Amino acid sequence: MSATLLEEFGTGNAREREESWRYSKTALRALSQQDFVAADAQAVLCVPLRAQFEWPQTAGRRLVFVNGAYSQTHSDVSRLGSALTIDHTANQHLKLTIAAGLEGPVHLVYANVPVAAPSRWQATSEIRLQGGSVQIIEQHIGEAGADVLGTLTSDIAIGGHAVLHVASLSDLPDSVSLYRRTQADVASAAGCDCTHAIVGGRLQRFDIGVALDGAQARFDSHGAFALRGRQHADVHLDVRHVARDTACDIVWRGVADQRSRGIFHGAITVAAGADGADAQLSNKNLLLSPHAEIDTQPVLEIYADEVKAAHGATVGQLDERTLFYLRSRGLPLEDARRLLIGAFCRSVFTGLTEAFLRERIEALLDARVSSEGGGA
Amino acid sequence: MEKFPVMLKIENLHVRVAGKEILKGISLTVKPGEVHAIMGPNGAGKSTLGNVLAGRDGYEVTQGTVEYDGRNLLELEPEQRAAAGVFLAFQYPVEIPGVNNTYFLRAALNAQRKQRGEAELDSMQFLKLVREKLAVLQLKDELLHRAVNEGFSGGEKKRNEIFQMALLEPKLAILDETDSGLDIDALKRVADGVNAMRAPDRAFVVITHYQRLLDYIVPDVVHVLADGCIVESGDKSLAHKLEEHGYAWIAQRQMPGQSRAGAV
Repeated sequence: MSATLLEEFGTGNAREREESWRYSKTALRALSQQDFVAADAQAVLCVPLRAQFEWPQTAGRRLVFVNGAYSQTHSDVSRLGSALTIDHTANQHLKLTIAAGLEGPVHLVYANVPVAAPSRWQATSEIRLQGGSVQIIEQHIGEAGADVLGTLTSDIAIGGHAVLHVASLSDLPDSVSLYRRTQADVASAAGCDCTHAIVGGRLQRFDIGVALDGAQARFDSHGAFALRGRQHADVHLDVRHVARDTACDIVWRGVADQRSRGIFHGAITVAAGADGADAQLSNKNLLLSPHAEIDTQPVLEIYADEVKAAHGATVGQLDERTLFYLRSRGLPLEDARRLLIGAFCRSVFTGLTEAFLRERIEALLDARVSSEGGGA
Repeated sequence: MEKFPVMLKIENLHVRVAGKEILKGISLTVKPGEVHAIMGPNGAGKSTLGNVLAGRDGYEVTQGTVEYDGRNLLELEPEQRAAAGVFLAFQYPVEIPGVNNTYFLRAALNAQRKQRGEAELDSMQFLKLVREKLAVLQLKDELLHRAVNEGFSGGEKKRNEIFQMALLEPKLAILDETDSGLDIDALKRVADGVNAMRAPDRAFVVITHYQRLLDYIVPDVVHVLADGCIVESGDKSLAHKLEEHGYAWIAQRQMPGQSRAGAV
């Protein structure tokens, strides 16, 4: 079934598909050579896996999907109230309609559970935010074992003056691959504020498309990936400023150790007539091993006249002078490295107001940059 | 335990940086309780000496020995030197965004204690120690809640170095141009911090370009470093002579064939 995944996942014509997947083609081809069976939607989640998402802060506000399918057993939505309408009647499709007045976060958990053979699941979600300000937490976890390939396509619409906060934490075993494709449309004076942490996984591809359709619409995306082993993460942002006075602020960090590979592609288009747009993109990366690779590509296309735009991308190593400073104060090399890598990633999450989320994200990244197994 | 009468013994030290010989045979003996000042013009190798003692990479020792507390200092990693009591106050302290100053200091102190086989301090014990040391340096405790040196003024950075020194309580403190960029008030405060730490079992190597700092931190011995060599050593009056005559005077005295007595 060679090349079929590229055909399936890619959009546009053959050349555009190739271009969009150029750094992940090999990883995708390797996946394509496997024969997948359908994943088990009835799988029972083991206790350690459940412990990863059973947070006290989201009790009664949790929707759990096992291999893409909604799980009545593991979900608990008792505290979500009437402002949220959940429709999961269609197989592996979720529709969330949120009216103003929903309090507290909504926790979506996608659990990957392997069967004996390589398996696949595909799911879609639709989120409609009509008003107010809502926090959605999207978590991806998995059990180690045979390969699992999940595909999640999300379609988000944020109504006028509403603000959607999304925090996604993806922490996958090296046998799980995940392709997430999110499209968000943001209406006038509305905001989409996203925070992402990506660790682990065999292949994690994350496409984020955003259309700032209404005047004064705003998109914020702060994220980091931390990779090691042969992990592979590929993040693609495609932000379109369509209406006037729209703003985006994209700040991503990448860390790659050992033989891992990270890709960041950040494209911002300011359409003709979208005057007053403010587009900011910053992507900084740390390479911790001569065998790791990071490719970063900021792309800014401007067709409007009055635009404020800035972008910058760097790939570097840990600063020798800073490491020496820390060591001269008594910190062993490994501790000094860990401290600097942690700080490098953390800097994008300082704006996160929920302390428990920030702590979870920091813990997630810290665990992945710890010295165990981390090559110098 | 028997005390070594000599804390630091540098003999015929030659150091190369990026292929260029910077130190060309330095010998220096520092005893516990002493304050040695190293003065010299820009480019003489003063900072190189500080860096090589603290163990920075890229400083190649091509000849000579450095003994500290009876051990070969040069074979120790920077963190081992720190745990053994060597401290370098940086000329340009490094800004570390995202690393909280208090967290960093506690991690550093506990890492040293761990290497020495001492019990680590919990946050209460650590905070108590911090408050004691802060009072001495008249530092705003607001600085503690910020990232290490990030957005600090020049004076704040230098005082933060001295504060770290006060907290880590080294046996041998090397101050690399700690006075540069300081106004007179900040200079006095830094000197007060250093003087408060002077002790019979602690030694200081104070690297400076100007004599001014030595009015406040009065040295036992002054060495003049020029072009990678110590060309003159004397008591504190040497610093004043230098101030009066400038470094050109030293250069003259170095010239081969020149009568030494004639230059004074």
